[in-house]
Amino acid sequence: MKQFVLSIMLCVSAVCMAQNITIRAVDQPASVVFRSIVEQTGKNFVYSSELLKDMRVSVNVKNKSLKHTLSMIFKDSDIEYEIKGRNIILKRKPKPKRQERKPSITIVAPTLPKQNAVEPEMLEEVVVVSRLEAPAVETAEIGAKKLTAQEIINTPVMFGESDVIKALQMQPGVSEGQEGMAGMHVHGGNSDENLYMLDNVPLYQVNHFAGLFSAFNAEAIRYIDFFKSSIPAKYDGRLSSYLDVRTKNGSMEGHHGSFRLGLTSGAFNIDGPIGKKTTYSVALRRSWFDVLSIPMLALVNSSDEEEKIRLRYAFMDLNAKVTHRFSNKATGFASVYFGNDILKTGSSDKHEPECGWCYDDKNDFHWGNLVAQTGLNYRLNPLMSAEFTAAYTRYFSGMKRDWLTTEITNDGTTESHSISKTNNNINDWIFRADFDWRPNDGNRVRFGGNYILHSFLPARTDRNYTVGTTQTLTRDSTWSYTANEANIYIEDDWQISEKFRMNAGLHLSLFNIDGKTNYGFGPRLSFSYRPSDNWAVKAAYARTNQYVHQLSQTYLSLPTDQWVPITGRFKPQNADKISIGAYWQSDNKVFAASAEGYWKVMRNLVDYRDEYYLQPPTEMWNAQLCSGKGTAKGIDFKIEKLYGKLTGHISYSLAWSDRTFPDKNEGLTFPTRFDNRHTINILLNWNVSDKVSLNAAWTGHSGNRFTLLPQVWESPGFGNSYIGDESPLKTQVNNYQLPFYHRLDFSCTVRNKRGYWTLGLYNAYCHMNTVAIRRTYNNANHPVFQKVKLLPIIPSISYTWQF
Amino acid sequence: MSVFLLTGCYEDFNPEIDTKPVLCLNSLITAGEPIEVEVTHTWMFNDEKSKMNHDVKDAVVTIFANERIVDSDYLPKEGDKIRIVAESPTYGMAIAEVVVPYATPIGKVKVFPVVTDIWKGDKDLFHYEMLADVTFNLNIEMDVNDPEGTDNYYHFGYNWSGRATDGSPTLSIGQFEYNSEPIFKEHIGVFETVMGNDEDTNFVFFSDRQFSGRTYTLHLNFSNNVFRVKSQEYDESWLECGVNLYLTTVSKSYYSWAVYKWNVDEGITGDLSDIGLAESKWGYSNVTTGAGVVAAQSSAKYTIELKEFLKTTLNNK
Repeated sequence: MKQFVLSIMLCVSAVCMAQNITIRAVDQPASVVFRSIVEQTGKNFVYSSELLKDMRVSVNVKNKSLKHTLSMIFKDSDIEYEIKGRNIILKRKPKPKRQERKPSITIVAPTLPKQNAVEPEMLEEVVVVSRLEAPAVETAEIGAKKLTAQEIINTPVMFGESDVIKALQMQPGVSEGQEGMAGMHVHGGNSDENLYMLDNVPLYQVNHFAGLFSAFNAEAIRYIDFFKSSIPAKYDGRLSSYLDVRTKNGSMEGHHGSFRLGLTSGAFNIDGPIGKKTTYSVALRRSWFDVLSIPMLALVNSSDEEEKIRLRYAFMDLNAKVTHRFSNKATGFASVYFGNDILKTGSSDKHEPECGWCYDDKNDFHWGNLVAQTGLNYRLNPLMSAEFTAAYTRYFSGMKRDWLTTEITNDGTTESHSISKTNNNINDWIFRADFDWRPNDGNRVRFGGNYILHSFLPARTDRNYTVGTTQTLTRDSTWSYTANEANIYIEDDWQISEKFRMNAGLHLSLFNIDGKTNYGFGPRLSFSYRPSDNWAVKAAYARTNQYVHQLSQTYLSLPTDQWVPITGRFKPQNADKISIGAYWQSDNKVFAASAEGYWKVMRNLVDYRDEYYLQPPTEMWNAQLCSGKGTAKGIDFKIEKLYGKLTGHISYSLAWSDRTFPDKNEGLTFPTRFDNRHTINILLNWNVSDKVSLNAAWTGHSGNRFTLLPQVWESPGFGNSYIGDESPLKTQVNNYQLPFYHRLDFSCTVRNKRGYWTLGLYNAYCHMNTVAIRRTYNNANHPVFQKVKLLPIIPSISYTWQF
Repeated sequence: MSVFLLTGCYEDFNPEIDTKPVLCLNSLITAGEPIEVEVTHTWMFNDEKSKMNHDVKDAVVTIFANERIVDSDYLPKEGDKIRIVAESPTYGMAIAEVVVPYATPIGKVKVFPVVTDIWKGDKDLFHYEMLADVTFNLNIEMDVNDPEGTDNYYHFGYNWSGRATDGSPTLSIGQFEYNSEPIFKEHIGVFETVMGNDEDTNFVFFSDRQFSGRTYTLHLNFSNNVFRVKSQEYDESWLECGVNLYLTTVSKSYYSWAVYKWNVDEGITGDLSDIGLAESKWGYSNVTTGAGVVAAQSSAKYTIELKEFLKTTLNNK
């Protein structure tokens, strides 16, 4: 029989050292189990496709060596393995005597004992694993994607800074938003409609440096589950997508770590055991911008004796986790995430003391997230496990401006001192319990609930102005809000028959604020029909609800952005989404293809109304806002090559997205800013050899929408206008489509004995894309329209040392 | 933003977008003064010819006061509802409406002058010598008695008077401390505040949102004011000088226009809009075509006499 040799080549670039494995699988397809091993070890499996046909595996190991794990898997089978370098070669054991072969190979793995016969020590340890391990044709979900740390690292990005969100931007149906930013607009949604959960706890601020980098350190990530169409009932609170980020546990077998030095940041991570039952994992990342700016500032400041410029920017994030195994039944963990950005700017001019005028201008900004949590994974019985979480999260942004002017005359000194401070905080206390129950082979029931005590302080500004002996103090009338949120959910993943699978669930929520309680009803249903092993057809419906939203006057992610709750005349946002999809995978599971269509209606969306800035901030903040609806529809096509030396995908999206607000655009429907009709993404990862791998990502999409104001009129000659001033004439919102956007990013990883180099090129062929149109005057003082282009080719280099 | 500006570049181009010029009306109607309307048309920004000449020759302008057509010499009164209708065969029709606001009388005014420096010459000195030089601060508390039942918008203004016998000015008001009155910054948001856009601004419009139907006391501080007389024989008439305070009640359209202008000229989002990092801002207009501003105002005046203060100051020296 013709043999087809399958080479699984995932996780090739970084993790090539031996690592221990944690895996728990009960009667899972062998390919699923092997994929998990590939992700954890970086080894490749080489075997005949015939060898593993219909093979199902049950295995339960925790922090065991690869050899031990493979022995467990194959101990009762007629398959033997051999580890050769980076490859694990599987073959059939030599037969002692000729006998009739069975049509398929079945691994006789430990079967689950009956519930009432279980001895406590025989209980399997519960380990949190991705719910997206199986290939898309085998699940009921639509528009779901699991990303491993390696896939994130393999996606080339700006400055070589591996980025979760930028990796997701390559997925069909996900728009990056502003060029270069870690924004995410999923299926026509806004950037605040994505829920980012770090080990089951929501994060608010997910960006560093105005959005250039996301707040997730790829070194600390184990995997990410991303849902954009059929949303499991566990998730609610945002309209468009859910990102479940799980961080790494420490290894029981020894201390391992790495140190990365890049152009913009450095990262250090280490993990290992503490005693026999406890592990730790620490990942720290910090930017270098402030260090790099020191010599430049010194140079600038040395040219002027009196005027000095002050500038310092840095971001850091820390992930620390301790895991303790109490027993076979219970594993607890405590973790901390702290992400912080600091920006200090200003200048001072110090004249000679005897005369003149001098000033000292200081601006301090800091913003970020703190998450402290503890959790317990507990196996109640062989069929049911639970995850209990208690967490405190704090989103904070503080801004302080200190402006001191001193006038020195022969008769004395007059000081004028202005200080303004603004704070915006959210404090959440979260308690949640999630259960996973397998009542029988065909059903997997997940249920749980959570309670969140929110405390919101939308931006509040204190101003203190002192001139001479006169002092003026003011404080905005903004007050803080306390809100209670509770959620319960239940879902059943039901394998009805060999061909039919269904995931049905319900999420109920309530949000109490200002004495008013809002209720959310979130039914979820997805259904899969699998006419053959290679094909699946799916349909899904999901309703999602959202009680908080982000206000941002710019397309950047800034500390001035505010997360505010739904209050007053605004109602909770909700969305109904219908999706259908068709999925195919090749016999050897190397290739996969999918087509997913969706239609989404969003209600009670919140946006700034026309000329919102005419409402002064002393009004309630929501006076500047209006409520409306939006629709999005489209279809995403994707072809993937999952295994082999060359992997990657090509995707194409055809999409429409619009909004209608009574108080915006005169009530007329308008396209959203990121209504990109056509989007093509190509991502390729080529493992040239054991030492070299190349990654390339090309993206091209219809230009973003832009409100171009082509006509002007003569400004009135009164008030604070100048004679000859011109003002732009109002037009339809997002009336102009910018030119087609395209960009190639490239990275190369070269390994040596101690670690690996990563070389990157952002915008490799330096196509400066248009991000806006501006009206201005050229050098000859002629009025002209100009395309604004921001980002050229940006090279990067980093080295990661592993130990 | 600096990073983007460092790496960014610009390319001239002509956007292919259909445009149709429309009428633009500009007018500031003041109670008791004839109405003047400026009628022009809009033009494509890069059309230099239209930029130089955008007058409209064929427009017919009709003015309505309280729903009745009035002549061009009509003097509007406080409370009048004025509608301006302009029609041009080339550019179509434009309509704007505004109510002339009632002036809000200035309430109590308290003045706290503080001398910071003084020099007085001898009147027997040669005539070219300086005879008096007083530097002082004026801290003023001025009550605004906001009438109930309407949304009111205000503009604060000032000027000063005082001349010596030879006609040379004796009084010079130094610096008006905009920071000392927080209501002048009520239009400034967090973003602008932290970016420093609230400094060095001379915005003096405000609304009654925070004191509707009640009295609000404006804190008006003028520093480094100088009273100076040179080369003159002493004459008490020199001391007859004062500061005029104007509380102008303006229409909402006037206030909105001023806030818009501040946002695009001094606010940070105006800069960000230019490079595509914030939403574009179009010019505020209350004309049906979206071009032009028809505003109205009525003023109240209060004069602070400084004679007694100066006289006392100089006599005590």
